[in-house]
Amino acid sequence: MNQLRLGLAYGLLSTRRRAGALALPILTTATGAFLLVLVLGMASGISAQAAALGHADAIERAVVLIAVTVLLVGVVEVAVSTTRTVVHRTRELGVLSATGVPRPPVVAALLVEPVIASVLGAVLGAVAAVGTAAVLAATGAAASGVSAAGTAVGVLVAVLVSAVAAVATSILPTWRAASRPPIRSLSSGA
Amino acid sequence: MAVTTVQETRGGALGHPVQIEAAARSLRNSTSVRLLRFALANVRRRPERFALAVFGIALAILSVTVVRTISSSFAITGSDSVTRVLDGASLWAVPAAGVHYDSDAGAIVADGPAPDLTVPDGWTAARTVTGVWSSDAGDLPVYGSDAIADGTAVLGAQAAATLGLAGGDTLAFGGADLAVTVGGDDAVVAVPEALAVDVVGDDGWWTVTEPADQAGRNDLGALLSAETGLPSTTNPAVQPEAGGGGLIYDAVGGGGSTTFEQEFSALFSGQVTSSAFGLISVIGLVLGFVIAISSFLAAVQERRREFGIMASIGLADEVLYFFLVESALVFVSAYLLGITFAGIAVWLVVPQIATPVAWLAAAGTVAAYLPAMAIVGALVPVHRLLQQRPVQLLGDSA
Repeated sequence: MNQLRLGLAYGLLSTRRRAGALALPILTTATGAFLLVLVLGMASGISAQAAALGHADAIERAVVLIAVTVLLVGVVEVAVSTTRTVVHRTRELGVLSATGVPRPPVVAALLVEPVIASVLGAVLGAVAAVGTAAVLAATGAAASGVSAAGTAVGVLVAVLVSAVAAVATSILPTWRAASRPPIRSLSSGA
Repeated sequence: MAVTTVQETRGGALGHPVQIEAAARSLRNSTSVRLLRFALANVRRRPERFALAVFGIALAILSVTVVRTISSSFAITGSDSVTRVLDGASLWAVPAAGVHYDSDAGAIVADGPAPDLTVPDGWTAARTVTGVWSSDAGDLPVYGSDAIADGTAVLGAQAAATLGLAGGDTLAFGGADLAVTVGGDDAVVAVPEALAVDVVGDDGWWTVTEPADQAGRNDLGALLSAETGLPSTTNPAVQPEAGGGGLIYDAVGGGGSTTFEQEFSALFSGQVTSSAFGLISVIGLVLGFVIAISSFLAAVQERRREFGIMASIGLADEVLYFFLVESALVFVSAYLLGITFAGIAVWLVVPQIATPVAWLAAAGTVAAYLPAMAIVGALVPVHRLLQQRPVQLLGDSA
């Protein structure tokens, strides 16, 4: 347990060091979260639009499906960024391995970055969406209003889905990197 | 024993081993196959990144394909419904109140009485009375016209299925018993005009056919407009002027390359693609493209020395080919995965809207975006590489 805590603390420090590389994954996740929160917050307006198209229920389901899918696309960029991080830090991982650090804390350290990027992205996107929804509601641009409950559900879903999806997609590359024999990481690492 | 078998096969069953081996060798050595093998070798070096890029782009393609499937399905509905209305006529005179597609009933219905229309000699005008009939089995569109013989009703296949009737059965409609025949596959109940007026009122329109000697002209709308005083248009997006006398849609005129039915169906599909729905899916596609670029740029960063060696021996164009093949591999895999996911998603989420034909049409439309995305996706990293001299690429430790 202590080792895991140390791993997480180490991951936090290295994430601070590499903050610049997180900008793009945070932006893509934020875009996905922004759309999801807006879609759920303005569900009544979308229902009205769906009703005009006919098959209101089916169209509403499809809109939510697409918003969640777009959020997942944003989160996949987090995992792509993790593969880049892992390659950059191959030698560092080799040193950790060679000095006897077991795999779980190393994986935990590597997962800190995707979790922070995805949660931060989701929160920023959600804040932007709540702000946009408030402006739309205040100016009357959203004719059918913005639902506070829908927005709250949207924020919760966006943050949870982002964090879970980021861990699920990042776990394999980090696990593989932490499982490499140290001699290979030290000799071939960039 | 195994060696004997191979030799026997070489000498006997295959017939010309030397030619086959030569052909196989030339195939192995052809440039495109080499490029593909090189790309596959690079994929194997970073399988997770390839899988993630493919997965991310596939999700983006899924979202666009779902929207396109729904919009194609609407387009097919629009095209079928207007074809059913025109039924071979060239002109369609609608009331000033306009017409609309009733999505619950599944057909176009008029919003006001058919305009006053007296056609010149030789022209044929048929009035159709339209409305929605609340039958015991559900709402159904009714088209009443003189073309339907008294005592009969023609049901589209969907209407027949809703009512649970087949050809030869009797339909109780407006207090009359009508002998049923089934024709077409729409949801329309076609009955004699007088009976339809009793049940759904007198909202409707005219369909007009030109005299035989005028057939083939593309100014029929203008001709009839001059004779009747009603304005005419070839654009289905134009709505009749409220409080006016009505509007004539010319379904055969117009100088464009698209037919009236195609333009009418585009109005239907445009409702989907221009809605919030369409916008979200396009943003998804942009994010998918960002994933592709980001993963290619990461590859460039990690393979700087390799590209430095290539650049130092004069391979500049070839680097573009390497990336084009890798990019094509990523996008084609993502496309196949994405349209498969989309097929499953529409089947699970919107089964009543999407049809296999609409899904195929959507898959075709989305395929049109891919070459551009794959090419730009390959050009960005190559541009990044070509900005640097070989010695810079070779000198970096990364």
